[in-house]
Amino acid sequence: MSRGPDDLRGSLDLVILKTLSLAPMHGWGIGQRIRQMSSEVLDINQGSLYPALQRLEKQRLIGSDWGTTDNNRRARYYRLTPSGRRALGDEIDSWQRFAEGLGAVLRST
Amino acid sequence: MRWVDAAGVRVRRLLFGDEIEQRMDEEFRFHLEMEAERLVREAGVDPREARRRARARFGSVEAQKDAVRDARSGWAWMSGLQLGRDVRDAIRSLARRPAFTAVAILSLALGIGANSAVFSLVNAVILRDSPIERPEEVVNLYLHQASFEFGSLSHPDFEDVRDGTAEVFSGIAASHFVPLAIDRGEGGGVGLAPAEAVTGSYFPMLGIEAAVGRTLLPSDDVSRGGHPVVMLDYRYWQSAFAGDPDVAGREMRVGGRAYTVIGVGPPDFAGTVRGLTPTFYVPYMMAEELNGSPLFDERGNRSLFVKARLRPDVTLPQAEAAAGTVAAQLTQDRLENWDPAGRFALLPLTDVLLFPPLDRYVRGAAWLLMVVVGLVLLLACTNLASFLVARALDRRKEVAVRLALGASRWSLVRRLLIETTLLGLLAGGAGVGLAVWLLDLLVTADLPLPTPVTLDLRPDGNVLAFTFGVSVVAGALLGLLPAQQSTRPDVAGALRSESAGGGQPGQLRWRNALVVTQLTISLVLLVGAGLFLRSFQQAQAVDPGIGREPAALLTFLTPANRFTPDDARVYTRRLLDRFRALPGVEAVGAISNLHLNPLSQRTSDFNVDGFEPPTDHGAFIADRVEVEPGFFEAAGVEIVRGRNFDDADRPDTRPVVIVSEAMARRFWTDGDAVGRLVKRRGDGPPWLVVGVASDANVRTLGESPRNLIYLPYSQRFTPALTVVARTSIDPERTALALLTAGRELDPDLRVVETKTMDRHLALMRLPQRLSAFVLSAFGVLALALAAVGLYGVVSYGVARRTREIGIRKALGADGSRIVGLLVAGGLKLVIIGGALGLALAVVATRLLGGLLFEVDALDPLTFVGVPLVLGAAALLAAWVPARRASRVSPMVALRTD
Repeated sequence: MSRGPDDLRGSLDLVILKTLSLAPMHGWGIGQRIRQMSSEVLDINQGSLYPALQRLEKQRLIGSDWGTTDNNRRARYYRLTPSGRRALGDEIDSWQRFAEGLGAVLRST
Repeated sequence: MRWVDAAGVRVRRLLFGDEIEQRMDEEFRFHLEMEAERLVREAGVDPREARRRARARFGSVEAQKDAVRDARSGWAWMSGLQLGRDVRDAIRSLARRPAFTAVAILSLALGIGANSAVFSLVNAVILRDSPIERPEEVVNLYLHQASFEFGSLSHPDFEDVRDGTAEVFSGIAASHFVPLAIDRGEGGGVGLAPAEAVTGSYFPMLGIEAAVGRTLLPSDDVSRGGHPVVMLDYRYWQSAFAGDPDVAGREMRVGGRAYTVIGVGPPDFAGTVRGLTPTFYVPYMMAEELNGSPLFDERGNRSLFVKARLRPDVTLPQAEAAAGTVAAQLTQDRLENWDPAGRFALLPLTDVLLFPPLDRYVRGAAWLLMVVVGLVLLLACTNLASFLVARALDRRKEVAVRLALGASRWSLVRRLLIETTLLGLLAGGAGVGLAVWLLDLLVTADLPLPTPVTLDLRPDGNVLAFTFGVSVVAGALLGLLPAQQSTRPDVAGALRSESAGGGQPGQLRWRNALVVTQLTISLVLLVGAGLFLRSFQQAQAVDPGIGREPAALLTFLTPANRFTPDDARVYTRRLLDRFRALPGVEAVGAISNLHLNPLSQRTSDFNVDGFEPPTDHGAFIADRVEVEPGFFEAAGVEIVRGRNFDDADRPDTRPVVIVSEAMARRFWTDGDAVGRLVKRRGDGPPWLVVGVASDANVRTLGESPRNLIYLPYSQRFTPALTVVARTSIDPERTALALLTAGRELDPDLRVVETKTMDRHLALMRLPQRLSAFVLSAFGVLALALAAVGLYGVVSYGVARRTREIGIRKALGADGSRIVGLLVAGGLKLVIIGGALGLALAVVATRLLGGLLFEVDALDPLTFVGVPLVLGAAALLAAWVPARRASRVSPMVALRTD
């Protein structure tokens, strides 16, 4: 279990990867989808969204291309790469183990 | 500052490409539009308000961009973006305070320029590579005798070494210095054009290729006097032949003969002794003719500098052994004029700067200068640092707020460092210009040196790299202390205090330390300057015993291949008569070797009846010169007893001499020396003393009077003579008139040198003059910087204590008391700095002992006078701002803050 001071950053990356695992999406849409999926609990700071996307792209976990939206607007679409998909799987496992462990600790006593 | 932004954009595009920047613009615009639409849709606000809220939620687009760029580049700061922004901020910050910036750049530029100039000198003399091929293989070969370790070789010596070392050296070559006077043309007066006679092996052995035509080759150096060809130095080709590309084949007159130009040396080859660039090269076989004295067959006539290239597989000890065998053979053969203790010494070329016995002084002087200019730069830095610390302390509150708001300490330190580094670089640019100007002054300065010094002082890569390094280091150093001071993480303390305006002595500690350092350094420099000024003053005050009145000098040769001694005497007499007729000339005479010539000394052994010969040498030693009778009157040497030489003293009459007063006093204590005998060593008949001449310095200025024997030119011939022409007009004009008149009489007159008596004597005072000038300049600069520093500290103290001063005045303290209080604070620093400086100076001046002239290293006048000057300057610097404080009105002061 290696979770360092980058906890929060790590979880934002995880959420972004999860969002993109469903379908490619542009930056604004990613933010919206996270908000919807988390039942409005996670309203991610827009100040950290784009740097996070940039970081993930640099790590080659996601890729990006220009595309058009439903109402015919040009937007930058992000999609998961194969290595991103693998990383997502690993991260989800790791998170679940972490959450279970944490839950067990919190439930005891 | 729009151009700064524009430049920033350009830098960013360069580093990251347009694509990324455009992509961010478009992506963020899209984001904001979508967000605004959502707000209209979901919250029902009007589109305008929606756009505003979207923007607010998104935050600063620029900040976002920066964050994205940071994420891209990993190491954010080095990305150049952050750096670009910081540089832009720094430029803005500097531009906001033009006065400070100008002063900062100016004072740093002085320091950096001085460093750059001195480094250029060091670079030209010590560091710059020569164009010699594989210089590590080349060795200098000297004749090592008991009397002198690094002697030159005679031509027979050279031939023997050459023939005996073919197995260890792949090439061996010799050069011989040929001094020649040339007309510098209209208004330029007369100059010395040193030429070099080199063996045919010289250029091939060194691996030097001609820039035009060809170099001298072994085939140019076969028969004595049979090769009137000349190869020009590149610079001389530029100046005298205007860089004529078809110069090969043209003729020039050298020593009264037409020589054919065969080629031009490469631009980067300036001879093998740094600072002495020959104007042209002739084959060694022409040297005897040009020099006018027998060189080729006399082992006692030593004037060749020898260089050799080691064969690839030969080590230095092996070569030394081979040369040692040659020397042993010469000793065994008991050859005439060969010192039985003599041997050949080899020194790698790369270990020699100018000439081994001089190198120690050159290196010493280089170090001394580097240290002095380093100190000056340190002073300039501490001064600015002290201003910056003051500003930083004033900004502590602002900085504390920013720290409290989460700015990282590093980011604040970084900004300050970038600002000062930028200052350093700007000052470095100005400093290079200053250095070029200073060096130009030096190169064009008319120093009374025996030969013109030619150094290539143009800034090269070494100099630029050095200056860049110094600028960056100075800039960074400058910023460190203020940065450290202003960002000490005592946030709460800074926010709480300071509005009260009370003095906080703890924060002044650093500035005080800086000022004390400055005062210390400037005191040391000023003491050095003072000692050299006193030396110069002493040297000026010395009466050398000759040349008190203005005179012109001309040194010429009567070449032995053109004249017998008798013919030469007739020639000389005609020449001197001609000179006597020139306007303004009052007296004319000639001497073989004018007093106070540091390059040449001649002695004779002698004994006197009634005096036991010294046991170690078997004879007394006197300096000896040959003179023509007119010399005494022309040079201002008096015949105090007896008579001058005259026409009755001929080669076939009894040999006569005139001796110096000192010698007469020493050996003929009972009375008159005239009529007594001086016994020569060997077989010659004794000399009859016919006169006694007043004492004059012979070897060094201010020496205790020496034994000196004057021999008549009419009885003892010498090919080289220096004419002394005492004149009532400008001696420079007389010098030129001598040259013109001489050339009229004989177009091929072999002139070695013309100059004035003042210039001749000035050479002896040059070390004191130069040292005094350089150290005074730096000392005054240091004093000015220290005074400004002190002024800054006291004014800062005044500004901070305005309120306290107001209260004191309100309570009835009078102005002069307050001034006294403030000045006393400054004075404390002066006393500490002065004491430290004096202690350091006592130690440091020990090192100068050998360079001083008749001044003790602890000269009381200097050690009392300099602190007084420093103290006065410092008091003034403290008093000016202190007086301002005393005029503070209590009401205004209390209202401050």
